[in-house]
Amino acid sequence: MEFEFLLNDVLQKISLKKKEDVYVFYDGEKTYEADIQRISPHQISVLIDDVSYRIYTAKDKDNRHFLIDGQQFVVKEPTEQVEGFRMGEEKTSEGTLLVKAPMPGKVIKICVSEKDAVRKNQTLAIVEAMKMENEIKASVDGTIKEIHVTAGDLVDSEKPLIELEP
Amino acid sequence: MFKKIMIANRGEIAVRIIKACQEMGISTVAVFSDADRLSLHVQIADEAIGIGPPPAMESYLDIDRIIQAAQKTGVDAIHPGYGFLAENAAFARRCEKEKIVFIGPNSDALELVGDKVRSRQTLEKADIPIIPGMKGIVKDTSAIKAEAQKIGYPVMIKASAGGGGKGMRVVYTEKELTPALEAGMREAKSAFGDESVYLEKYIEEPRHVEFQALADNHGNVVHLFERECSIQRRHQKIVEETPSQALDSELRARMGETARKVMQVSEYNNAGTVEFLLDKDKNFYFLEVNARLQVEHPVTELTTGVDLVHHQIKIAAGEKLPFKQEDLEQKGHAIECRIYAEDPRNNFLPSSGKILYFKEPRGPGVRHDCGIYSGWDVPIYYDPILAKLIVWAENRETACQRMIKALDDYVILGVQTSIRFLRDLIGHPQFHKGETTTHFIQDHFADWTGEKDSEEKQRLALLAAAFDSLHGTTSGKGSQTTKKEIYSPWLSLGKWRLGGK
Repeated sequence: MEFEFLLNDVLQKISLKKKEDVYVFYDGEKTYEADIQRISPHQISVLIDDVSYRIYTAKDKDNRHFLIDGQQFVVKEPTEQVEGFRMGEEKTSEGTLLVKAPMPGKVIKICVSEKDAVRKNQTLAIVEAMKMENEIKASVDGTIKEIHVTAGDLVDSEKPLIELEP
Repeated sequence: MFKKIMIANRGEIAVRIIKACQEMGISTVAVFSDADRLSLHVQIADEAIGIGPPPAMESYLDIDRIIQAAQKTGVDAIHPGYGFLAENAAFARRCEKEKIVFIGPNSDALELVGDKVRSRQTLEKADIPIIPGMKGIVKDTSAIKAEAQKIGYPVMIKASAGGGGKGMRVVYTEKELTPALEAGMREAKSAFGDESVYLEKYIEEPRHVEFQALADNHGNVVHLFERECSIQRRHQKIVEETPSQALDSELRARMGETARKVMQVSEYNNAGTVEFLLDKDKNFYFLEVNARLQVEHPVTELTTGVDLVHHQIKIAAGEKLPFKQEDLEQKGHAIECRIYAEDPRNNFLPSSGKILYFKEPRGPGVRHDCGIYSGWDVPIYYDPILAKLIVWAENRETACQRMIKALDDYVILGVQTSIRFLRDLIGHPQFHKGETTTHFIQDHFADWTGEKDSEEKQRLALLAAAFDSLHGTTSGKGSQTTKKEIYSPWLSLGKWRLGGK
């Protein structure tokens, strides 16, 4: 069966099928044989060419999480468009950038006003989460089109803070 | 001895203290905010009582609510843990008034050492070496500017009421002073409810070496040697160890005696820590007294064999220390790593969300002080510390290897953590050499991104995802459904989405 996943925001294809006791998979370049056993809801044991791998797994609504040899991977279902966005930002149809909080928290200070010209890396706002202040910076040079929040507002990671016109 | 103790805290430290009480046959009462109803400390305590909404100001920092809860449950004593009300003299005084024993120093000593300006004046008179700095708190910016000029840049802004890095800023030029003061005062206000800040000379290339002390109510004071806590990020300790590589036995004895003297001059009782900065020429300066049980207390416990929480409780109950200074010795080497919910690849932003799966490392010489479990939602309201991993071994080299192995075996899925970063840190050649100053992270890990995902591991991740899809019970199939969401770990927040219903 063919699968498509996003790993590190790159679309990857893999095909996997069961053949008697082993799984055969093809990653686009090479075919491998693997003995894959689920040990528990959160643990898979994989043998490839007699090398043993222990993989921890978990799944939430949208993502699969794996820990392989101490390293965490998040594998997600493919989405329509991922390029051109930075985390915490979204491009609107008019080409402006919606700057969002990277985490839920409280707006401590808005450091700019509407119509201000801003430089890349200039601090736009300060959001506090978990008792630490985090500066939200501009990713590009531009002009502040609209400010959607005021100091003291609680925000989640989806609410736009500021609209920036590059 | 007490019959029932309230633990006025949350997270791993509440769990640690509750277990100590239970070991001593003392009944425990946990307190919790609405955001912590399902937290581990609530589950393991004998009784648990709600104290208000999630913001700490309205729950864990609300003295009236804590006292009411203590009276309602009929406790003899309150253990404040660290942070929150632990170093709040008004709280200690209120406990004294309400005839509830505060497990910590007496309120006069707490007030003295908590007032970092006044304590410096007192200790300076007793010939304790002090870093040049402000002699008093000034609230207006121009006076602070003048002080900064007098002390000489770089200067450090520190919160008068606090510790733990909150409110701290280093300022290198006068231009940076005003914005840094504003931010420092805001952070101080939100963390400690007091916006007072002061300045001191910033010593470059220093080591942070602190001495643990225990003082009973009968005038006996011992120190339990040092902890080296130089590995810090944003002035927040993340790795601590003992013994320090920078001390020899002569310097250790000298600093230990100074620590004891600080406690005696301050008329301090219960557990406390005397912090020093050690410069590269081995001059040491008194920094402050941390008038509480500290986050990093386990490394001392593992190397001295003394359970600090047990002794805090016994001292508070009026017992005499059962040992003298000459009875104490350090054995082997211990290291602690603080496990935070934060993303080291993304400027260490706090990471909240559900812990989908969690498995702690085990083995000889491995201790894990922990406040989390699989399925728990990490709330956004509090410090992002999840747990502490502590190892002990016969020597530093083995302790480092043991820590690396334990970090490798540590599984947390669902939130980002500092585990991988810590592993690389302990494995760094300069750490191995013991070359640890407070600039270690800045010097060696400023641009850390971690090991690049190898093709082999990526392939395994895809294989596991495909296997999961093939056998999954849900939609699976690497489905073609397209969602308009952009990816961000912050989006998978479940019920903690603010402003939603």
